[in-house]
Amino acid sequence: MKWSVVVSLAMLFVIAPLLPGIAAKTRARLTGRRGAPVLQPYRDLARLWRKGAVYSRDTSRVFRFAPIVLVATAAFAASLVPLDGQRAMLSFSGDFVAFAYLLALGRFLLVLAALDTGSSFEGMGASREVTVAAFAEPALFLAFVALVLATGNLSLGGALGGPLSQAWPGAVPALAMVTVSLFLVLLAEGSRVPVDDPATHLELTMIHEVMVLDHSGPDFAMILYGHALKLALFGSLLVGTLIPRAALTAPLAIAVLALGLVVVAVAVGIVESVMARLRLNRVPQFLTAASALAALGVILLLVG
Amino acid sequence: MILFFAGITSILLGGLGMLVWRRRPGLAAWTFAVLVGAGCALAVVPAIQVLAGGAAPEMRVPAGVPGGDWVFGVDLLSAFFLLLVLLVGGASALYGLEYLAPEARRRPVAATHLLTAFEIAALALVVTARSAMPFLMAWEVMAVLAYFLVAFDSEQADVRRAGLIYLIGTHTGTLVLIALFAFWGQFAGALSFDALAAAAPQLPAGGAMIFTLALVGFGFKAGLVPLHFWLPGAHGVAPSHVSALMSGVVIKMGIYGLLRTVSLVGPPPAWWGWLILCLGLASGVLGVLWALTQHDLKRLLAYHSVENIGIILLGLGIGALGARYDASMLAVLGFAGAALHALNHALFKSLLFLGAGAVQRATGTRLIDQLGGLERRMPLTWAAFLVGSVAIVGLPPLNGFVSEWIVYQGLLQSATVPPMRAAVFAVAGLALIGALALACFAKVGGAVFLGRPRTAATERGREVGGGLLAPMGALAAACVVIGVVPVLVVTPALRVGASIAGIGTDSASEAAAAVGPALQWISFMAFGLVAMVGAGWWLRRVLLRRRPQVWTETWGCAYARPNPRMQYTAASFAAPLVVAYGTVAGVQVTREPGHFHTHATDVVLDRVVFPLWATVRTWALTVRPMQQGRLWLYLLYLLGALLVLLLYLAFRAGGPGS
Amino acid sequence: MPRVVELLLLLVILTSFIVLGTTRLSACIRAVAVQGLLLGLLPLALYPGGSLHIWGLAGGTVLLKGVILPRFLRWAIREAAVRREVEPRVGFALSLLVGVVAVAAAFAISRILPLPERERAMLVPVALATVIIGLFVLTTRSKAVLQVVGYLILENGVYLFGLTHVERVPFLVEVGVLLDVFVAVFIMGIVVFHINREFDSLDSTRLTELTD
Repeated sequence: MKWSVVVSLAMLFVIAPLLPGIAAKTRARLTGRRGAPVLQPYRDLARLWRKGAVYSRDTSRVFRFAPIVLVATAAFAASLVPLDGQRAMLSFSGDFVAFAYLLALGRFLLVLAALDTGSSFEGMGASREVTVAAFAEPALFLAFVALVLATGNLSLGGALGGPLSQAWPGAVPALAMVTVSLFLVLLAEGSRVPVDDPATHLELTMIHEVMVLDHSGPDFAMILYGHALKLALFGSLLVGTLIPRAALTAPLAIAVLALGLVVVAVAVGIVESVMARLRLNRVPQFLTAASALAALGVILLLVG
Repeated sequence: MILFFAGITSILLGGLGMLVWRRRPGLAAWTFAVLVGAGCALAVVPAIQVLAGGAAPEMRVPAGVPGGDWVFGVDLLSAFFLLLVLLVGGASALYGLEYLAPEARRRPVAATHLLTAFEIAALALVVTARSAMPFLMAWEVMAVLAYFLVAFDSEQADVRRAGLIYLIGTHTGTLVLIALFAFWGQFAGALSFDALAAAAPQLPAGGAMIFTLALVGFGFKAGLVPLHFWLPGAHGVAPSHVSALMSGVVIKMGIYGLLRTVSLVGPPPAWWGWLILCLGLASGVLGVLWALTQHDLKRLLAYHSVENIGIILLGLGIGALGARYDASMLAVLGFAGAALHALNHALFKSLLFLGAGAVQRATGTRLIDQLGGLERRMPLTWAAFLVGSVAIVGLPPLNGFVSEWIVYQGLLQSATVPPMRAAVFAVAGLALIGALALACFAKVGGAVFLGRPRTAATERGREVGGGLLAPMGALAAACVVIGVVPVLVVTPALRVGASIAGIGTDSASEAAAAVGPALQWISFMAFGLVAMVGAGWWLRRVLLRRRPQVWTETWGCAYARPNPRMQYTAASFAAPLVVAYGTVAGVQVTREPGHFHTHATDVVLDRVVFPLWATVRTWALTVRPMQQGRLWLYLLYLLGALLVLLLYLAFRAGGPGS
Repeated sequence: MPRVVELLLLLVILTSFIVLGTTRLSACIRAVAVQGLLLGLLPLALYPGGSLHIWGLAGGTVLLKGVILPRFLRWAIREAAVRREVEPRVGFALSLLVGVVAVAAAFAISRILPLPERERAMLVPVALATVIIGLFVLTTRSKAVLQVVGYLILENGVYLFGLTHVERVPFLVEVGVLLDVFVAVFIMGIVVFHINREFDSLDSTRLTELTD
């Protein structure tokens, strides 16, 4: 059923900017404010897209390439996830590695673009971004290992599809811990509280926001979109692990995915309004806890 | 083999030509370039033939020295490494021509080129030797020549010190290797590799002694933690093309040795495989962590070599364990991953070192925190360095991704073999290594090439000449080709893996069939990525053509007058990670009013090797009083020793069994 | 009820991890209280028949380990007015990793040992892991209250070992062990109080000052 794959991919591309909007609205409501409309990110993207661009004389082509590479790698990574519950557009053995390393390519160029501006603010953000990534990647890969062990399938399309629904009954504790670990990684990679605060605009407390300070116009629009797409990707990994949709028909599976993403966004909003941002030297501890949870899941799957 | 030896002779003649025509440097350089280039091309032909499926040629030479006949041959493993030696060796030698040219008046540059040519020949002989004596001779020649190449700037004290530490490291390794072959030769009739392989079943404890000695001896050369302590110094102070040769090729000889030992003896004991896996993880993580703390560009790249040796060892460990537990697919994948990553690393590491050499030539400094903004003045060098950086981090669409993917495949598939299941945890380790490498090369690329120049000398840097750019371009092109069409090198690598594991070629084709579809998808992904980025760039240009584009100062949150010294330094960039890891990173911080300095130390060198040496010295000093310089005392010692021996013999004879 | 037992044991490991990874002392004490509660529920899950012996054990454990001792510890830190643990000898992230390694090692070692039937097969590895983690907390934390918490975790691990043989061990022995723990923690609480009075802090590394 190829059409379902294309439709689900298109749905993900369309719905991605909605998720930060929902998270911000949830957070606002829970802290007693009205908050911006849920569709605000779309308006922001449209507004930025219509503008011109301001570039620093110190920057080079890397600065102008980085947003494009970010969106391209995120889009490619999206084609590796089985969004319709059964198969992915691109699937091969070991494509977990491709998923993570494609996103790393986007991050690499974004960090280089930040250093390209020659400003200490962007440098600070870039430095923290790579630190967070260095602690988040092992947790993500341990979660992948757990999925491989649970389903015996070495590709994302296979592991999150049919085999997972058969694996759940026998491995509830392990997969539950993996889901929690994936949620923590989502918070880290999506630059959400408690790792980074998307609502603050104080450079000393930001990670992702400060890294992209100099981008403007369509470039900034691409960066916002790419970041939202990354959030949606991790959300779909999370939904795919928690709710195996192999038995559902394609339209229902896509609807469940969309609903699941909205629920994930609401959960992120709740976490953001309940917790404060961690001190920066506590972030490695937080992500090591995520790795420890995933590692526990792997141990349980190895002995069970 | 005729072609091979013709090629070697051509390389040697090219080197000699430098000496013969030293009064006419232009002619000497031309002959060197032509003869060495032609020699590499000739000698690589048998390698390609064997890798494409041809028969393995062999040649016996009765040498008239103890140790039997000298046998040379090119089998699959030798062919793969010969390819590596000649490609990278040739590129480095040609780069060295223009790189050392400005120093021709003050230093013996011609002699250095001669030694470079001889070094390449020695390396080629190491990988094609099929008997212990020529192997050890070529090995020792390679090691000693490398010392002379490293200590090129010998009037500087730190160069001499680094060279000395290198010499100690390599000679310790050679000593262990001599012990290895001596021990092994006892069980075999002759010292040729075939005879040694035939003696494998008679080795005690399944070859435990052989494997331990091989790990230590070849480990010194490969530079795995904790035997790496000579590496950063030597690779840091050597001229850049020598660093490229050493990091790219010479340390791979250690890997070659380990792979050769496994192929000769057969499946290693399980504890050896697990040990290799653990050492690989340690080398990988510690290597990149120590790289993050370095201020010197070439020392940083040298520590990255330690990291990549770690990744190669991960593949080797999986292969060894797979061979032990009769998991033929895992054995093939593991060894193939190790060999392929050795080739890929040789390509991108030498590319990076050549780029660092260009930077040093242009600006006169290796310190990262004095560079900056070089992409404006050296765009081609930056392009080559960027390709090398993306490749070494293992990002698609380049070659680093392909070999890391194969190692990941091996690690993930070990979940299907019950005794090896715990190896899946190494996946997290490899992910950590990749993320730390990304941090380190973002630091290097950003601090050296991007932003604004931090000192006046850097501001005056200009692009280097074609003689330096051409080899870099060739290596970069190789990285791109392998990344985009991986099946070209993966199929031969799988066959090499099967030959090391001692399994027939049908296992290799089975493995190739298993990974084939994935490789095609990887190619598709690489092409698709490039196409998408290209389309995005075009779209952006079309979009922005009618829009206002303003060029101004960096906004940096409305800071009015940013100056180059306000940029984030490389040390600050790495600081959160280094601080998170604490004392194992080996950074000493000095804080004084108005002054802050971080000093990167090598933990193994300063905490283990030097104290060990100090202890040995102290004990040696206690024996010092025996050496008084008085002749009659020494004669007394001789008399005393003689007396003791006679008494011993008397007791032996008087005791049991006269 | 093998599933419930597995879940309870998993939660025991997770509470040990919370103690390893958090900086706040009150969170540590709360975690060890929850652990005591879980340990109280375990005999009921393992032996659903429920003799008086089992109910007594469960009730006693919940009361002592889940309520009394944590209250006592909370009183101790309130007296000393401490909030957080300063950076311990082994950092928090590294402690978490050591915890994971301890769990992995415990499972690996338990493979070699002859284990009881399936239902209780997870008891031994979890018990071993808890003992190791308790010892680790005891030796690497510098605040005296946390060392007491470590001791409690160690005792919980020993208790888990005991659960594999509950019907064979007389009730009196169980009561004796619980009493033992109670008295030990009581004495430790008094010592903590005196340490605080003497040094005005709960840093047990300062005890070395007493030797001069």
